[in-house]
Amino acid sequence: MHMTRTSQKTGKICGNCRYHNTYDYPDSVFCFARFTERKNPVVSILFSCDEWENKLQECNCLDDYNKKPKKKAK
Amino acid sequence: MRTPVTHMQLSPDMTVNQLIEQFKNSGSFGAGRLASACDIFEKMARDPKCTIQLALAGAMVPAGLRKLIADMIRLRLIDVLVSTGANMVHDLIEATGGHHYKGHWFVDDYLLYKYHIYRIYDVFVPEEDFVKADEALVEMLDEIAAKTKKKPLSTNELMGEIGARLKDKNSIVRSAYEAKVPIFLPAMRDSEFAYIHRVHQRRSEAGEALMVDAFREVPELLDITSRSERLGMICLGGGVPRNSVQHAALMTGKGLDYSVVITTDRPEPGGLSGSTIEETISWGKVKYKANKTMVISDALIAFPLMVASVMERLGKGFHRKGSP
Repeated sequence: MHMTRTSQKTGKICGNCRYHNTYDYPDSVFCFARFTERKNPVVSILFSCDEWENKLQECNCLDDYNKKPKKKAK
Repeated sequence: MRTPVTHMQLSPDMTVNQLIEQFKNSGSFGAGRLASACDIFEKMARDPKCTIQLALAGAMVPAGLRKLIADMIRLRLIDVLVSTGANMVHDLIEATGGHHYKGHWFVDDYLLYKYHIYRIYDVFVPEEDFVKADEALVEMLDEIAAKTKKKPLSTNELMGEIGARLKDKNSIVRSAYEAKVPIFLPAMRDSEFAYIHRVHQRRSEAGEALMVDAFREVPELLDITSRSERLGMICLGGGVPRNSVQHAALMTGKGLDYSVVITTDRPEPGGLSGSTIEETISWGKVKYKANKTMVISDALIAFPLMVASVMERLGKGFHRKGSP
C-alpha cells in the first residue's frame, strides 16, 4: 500500500505513537509495549497495532525516514 | 612562616608526577590540595590494611573515566565501589555496544530532542544506545530471576550477576566481577535500572519478577567496614555514594582514616556533597587525625592527574592484594 507523506505524518503508525523509541534510525522503532508482551519489539516505523496511542513526539524520525531513498520492490 | 612557597619550574619532558611535585613545592590553593590528595592516595595504596572505597557520583563514566576505573579495580587500587546507579547504567550502555559521543554544550536542545539524542553537558548519548542496553539488561534480569527463584538480591549481588554475563573487559561491572570487588548502588532505583526492572516485572508472571532488596546491602557494606583495619575514601562529586561510605564508617564506630574528596560543590547550602571534611569529623564519620583533603575541582581533571601521579610513584609492577 502506498502511503503519502501527509498520511505518514498523521496516520496510525509507530512513528506517531507515544511508545516509539529509535532503533536503526530512522527505519525501525523499538516498542516497549510489545517488548513487555514478549513480542518482537523491533518493528518498522510504518507499522501499527491496537495499542497505538496518538501522541506526537515532535521528532524527526518520519521526516528522515521519508527523505531516505527507498528500495523499489521487485 | 618557615616554609617559603617554591615557585613552579616546568620542563618540556616532565612527567605527571613531576608536575604534581611542582604543585607540592608551591603548596598553594588547588595545586597544593591536589598534591596533598596524591600523597594521601599513595599512602592508601601502600597501606595493605586499608580498604579503599571509591564513592562515585556525577556523570564520570559518560565523560571518559570508565576504563580508568575498570583498570583501578583490576589493580585493586579500589577495593569497594559505591556508585550512583546511573554511572553503572552508562557502563552497561558501552558494554552492550553503545557509545557516548563528543558533542557541545552550545547546541539547540530541542533539535537534539527531535533526534532522540540526550545531552550530558557536552557529551551526547543516542536514545537508541539506551534502548539497546535496556533490551539486553531486561533479558539479563529475566535470566537472573529464573536462576535466583524469588530470593531477594542486594544491589551488590545483582551487579555480580550482571558482571558474570558481560564480555567487555573495559567494563567496570565486568572488572569488578573478575576482581571480586563489590559494587554497591545505594540509590539504584534513581536511575535507568528502575525502568529496566519495571519492564522486566511487566514481562514476568505475577510474583516471579526479580527482587532487589535495597536494605540488603547495608549489612554487606557494614561487614566490610567492620573487617577493615583502616578505611579510605576517594569521593568524586558527593551525594548518596559519599554518604553511604561515610555513614558505614560512622555506624561501625570507626571513622575514615584517609579521605580525599574532589568536588565543585559548596558547603554553605548545607548539602552533603559540598560539606567540608572538617564538618564530617563532627559526626564521627572521619577521624580527627585522618589524612584528608578536599580538592575543589572538576573531578574529570583532578582525578586522572591524581591517579597518574600515584601510578607513576607505585611503578609498573605494583599490584595491591586488596583489603579486607
